Amino acid sequence: MRIFKQLDYDFLGKRKMAYVLSGTLLLIGILSLAFHGLELGIDFKGGSEIALQFDKPVDIGEIRSYSDEIGLGKVEIKTFGGETGVLIRTELQTVPHDSYREFLNVIDKKIDELLPGVEKQIVDTSEIEVVYNFPNPDTTNYLNNALFKAGFQTTKFSEESNNTKIVIGVGVADIIQEKLREKFPENPFKVLKVDLVGPKIGKELKLDAVIAVFLALLVILVYLGFRFKFVFAIGAVVALFHDVLITLGLFSLLYGVSDWLNLEISVNVVAAFLTLVGYSINDTVVVFDRIRENLKIHKTGDLGKIINRSISNTMPRTIITSFTTLLSTFVLLIFGGDVLRGFAFTLFFGVIIGTYSSIFVASAFVYDYVTKSKKRISF
Amino acid sequence: MKEFRSRILLIVAAVAFSVYLLYPTYADYKNNKEIKAKLVTLKDSILKVNPKITEDDLEKRLSFLEDSLVVNNETYKEDREKRIKLGLDLQGGMYLVMEVNTAKLIEKLAKDPDEAFKQVLKSANKEAKKTDEDFVSIIARKFAEKKIRLSRYFGSIREDDETIIKRLKAQEEDAVKRAIEIINNRVNQYGVSEPSIQSQGARRIIVELPGVAKEEEAKRLLQGRALLEFRLVKESNFTIPIMNKIDEVLAQSLYSTDSSDTAVNDSTSALDSLLTDQQKADDMQKKHPFYSLAWINTQSPYADAFVSAKNKAKLDNYLSRPEVKSVIPDNVQFVYSAKPEVNKNGEKIYRLYLVNSKPELTGGVIVDAQANIDPQTTSPIVTMDMNSEGAREWARITGSNIGKRCAIMLDGFIYSAPTIQGKIPSGRSQITGMGDMDEAKLLEIVLKAGALPAPVEIIEERTVGPSLGQDSIRQGLFSTVVGFLLVALFMMVYYNKAGTIADMALFFTVLFILGVLAGFHATLTLPGIAGIILTIGMAVDANVLIFERIREEMATGKTAKASIANGYQQSYSAILDSNITTFFTGIILYQFGSGPVQGFALTLMIGIVSSLFSALVITRVVFDYLVSKGAKINIG
Repeated sequence: MRIFKQLDYDFLGKRKMAYVLSGTLLLIGILSLAFHGLELGIDFKGGSEIALQFDKPVDIGEIRSYSDEIGLGKVEIKTFGGETGVLIRTELQTVPHDSYREFLNVIDKKIDELLPGVEKQIVDTSEIEVVYNFPNPDTTNYLNNALFKAGFQTTKFSEESNNTKIVIGVGVADIIQEKLREKFPENPFKVLKVDLVGPKIGKELKLDAVIAVFLALLVILVYLGFRFKFVFAIGAVVALFHDVLITLGLFSLLYGVSDWLNLEISVNVVAAFLTLVGYSINDTVVVFDRIRENLKIHKTGDLGKIINRSISNTMPRTIITSFTTLLSTFVLLIFGGDVLRGFAFTLFFGVIIGTYSSIFVASAFVYDYVTKSKKRISF
Repeated sequence: MKEFRSRILLIVAAVAFSVYLLYPTYADYKNNKEIKAKLVTLKDSILKVNPKITEDDLEKRLSFLEDSLVVNNETYKEDREKRIKLGLDLQGGMYLVMEVNTAKLIEKLAKDPDEAFKQVLKSANKEAKKTDEDFVSIIARKFAEKKIRLSRYFGSIREDDETIIKRLKAQEEDAVKRAIEIINNRVNQYGVSEPSIQSQGARRIIVELPGVAKEEEAKRLLQGRALLEFRLVKESNFTIPIMNKIDEVLAQSLYSTDSSDTAVNDSTSALDSLLTDQQKADDMQKKHPFYSLAWINTQSPYADAFVSAKNKAKLDNYLSRPEVKSVIPDNVQFVYSAKPEVNKNGEKIYRLYLVNSKPELTGGVIVDAQANIDPQTTSPIVTMDMNSEGAREWARITGSNIGKRCAIMLDGFIYSAPTIQGKIPSGRSQITGMGDMDEAKLLEIVLKAGALPAPVEIIEERTVGPSLGQDSIRQGLFSTVVGFLLVALFMMVYYNKAGTIADMALFFTVLFILGVLAGFHATLTLPGIAGIILTIGMAVDANVLIFERIREEMATGKTAKASIANGYQQSYSAILDSNITTFFTGIILYQFGSGPVQGFALTLMIGIVSSLFSALVITRVVFDYLVSKGAKINIG
């Protein structure tokens, strides 16, 4: 089967149109980035996040309307992998004072409910846990299991047979769980994951991510400058900037449009951006390689013609590889689950824009630069 | 055939090696099935013997049995060690990033810390909260900015800053290393299968506990400090004047505006009898704010203050006021008893001791600890043995302080403060004052495992439940299969026979990736699976480049053999240049990421290398062989 037979098309002739298109996309992207901003995930922002899976479908709106009552200030609530999954996030890492005390009451009440009239005593409290003491080991063991089953994070103070103390977690995630359990007694849930990220980690990661992307661009610049000509290296990096910026712009623009597509910047998404850089450069290099080859053969040929011919020559490969890569990222986007969706989306869109840019941005940049500066390039 | 022999051998070797590396993963999967079957029968027999067993205990027994099944069977054990490990995001468990608070360590090492030192420490602390840099560098820079020589606080006067920095850095590094070792010990005692404990950066420790879902238990295990110190208790002729001073200062600063009121009250002493107890108490509090919260037993030879549990917070607040701090000498501090005593009214009373800030001896000298019941008092005690150096020091301390009291402090609280009766040459000592035997046992474990040299703080915590992991595995596997089939089908349709050959190469690529992952003892994470799926899409690229080139060559009317040779020849530079640049981004990604993302970067890089091998070696041999046989090459 063949899609293109001896393609010969004037790609460079259409570059002005491409510039307008790219410029518009970039402008929209940058405007959106400036005004709408990017939504950073917990990896970068820090805070607490908890994902729950209910037994029966839940109305996300109902949970949202209830979020004020949780008593943790601003709480974000989203779906997580289907209609029974819920993701709850807050920027808090420790529980505010009032909620803490209220939560202790809840624990007290629960203990009274499980074993009415049991003698209990709080022997120690800290920001994240509270230690209870009970009269005898049997009660302690019973309550430890019963409370754990009721959803509290409990542990025996020690594993000795005559232990009478229980440690109970009173973190942000614990309070959220308790509140929801109270609110939806007929719809139990299990905890899928809990993430707590300190502010320091987030800040470092932000810096690391930016450094990683720029380092990747720099390494590519140097390698291509060395293997090709410097103007090619710059063309490639300009194309990469173009790809990354437009994809980022899309992230900013589409954030919050659909609950299914979670477009916040997480570590995985940054990894996807770096991969996008890798893919896009791969594509560009194949075109450049052909230009280099054709320039070697036709030393005195017209650069525009040579570039056009090179793009035409490599066009079948460009289309087919993009297609297979799109195929696999599409599968990932649809079937890969919630955790990988942002990642797959970045790559899916990135492959399209990367393919476009290696034809209309990188090569066109080289052409314009060389003709403007009236230099000749030869290998 | 001869011309292909070496290449075919290479391919067969590579495939065989991958299969060999992957076999344990398959065997482990089968073993697990066997183990599960055995556990079912074991569960039944446990239930038969002990039908009343609680679910929790049953679970514990079973997981213990499961572990012992694996450990006692050599093949099981070996297979498990050599299989592809699943990341925490796939099998569930806890991931913790902890930071050793080395600021506390440096603070402890400093001699005669003054106001200037405290200021520098404070600002260094602030900066340490933002970066991952080692604390010594930060504080050294701060001192340099203020033009204070380090020898003022550390080392001897003749040493220059550089030597001191070097030594402090070594101490800091050592503290982090020791913390890792101790955490390792504790985790091993706890019995998690395949835990991972690594250091990261200057002060961080990453702990991975697969399968652990009980957050509280794990955190408790990791963070307990177990810092044991022996400190001399100040005698009453030293302590009482300080307490009087505190009382005075507090009365002045808290109620000085009320002084006129007090005068009025004095003049109306006739009404005194009409004052209620409450008012009397108020009055007492105004005149003696400290003593109203901290009572002294005037009969006792000791100046220990007794503080009711409900007054603790208030007293702490008083003691942290600057005017109070200024009357407490720098070399002593107030410390509470660990456990309260209960008086006849049922109130919990803590003791407040005034002790030296500097410990005479620390828990580092402890070599063994044993929890016991003291036959004389029937209360729990922990006996400790010290190493020879510690024993010598202990003999000297006890010998020169007979009649004084030595407080035994753990994690900042005093467990007991026995009076030194005489010189103790043996290096043995006892801790009393534990509430019950449990506490004594816990103390024994932490003393044996050793004390963390500085507190560790959890700065990141991720817990993945087992069900999310299973969902991820299912989705990942499904996506891989669907992705592979779609790409393979497309290649067959588009390139016919050549496409089928490329598909075979694609299959081997995936096999190589998994084999190398197993060989490296790498961990397969969810992003890692995504990397494999992505590689499936991108791995055909080299073949596509070559095929398209061969088509071009054929179009110019060359023979099949020449077209293939030229096609490969001409594609090399494009394939190499494009893959090397992608590989670079893979390296950077590996450096940037942690855990899951590294798994992705690794699969991506392995994918690049193995797809190159598949395209340049495997498909090439097949083509060359077909051409040499005179078979018609069909590239769609």
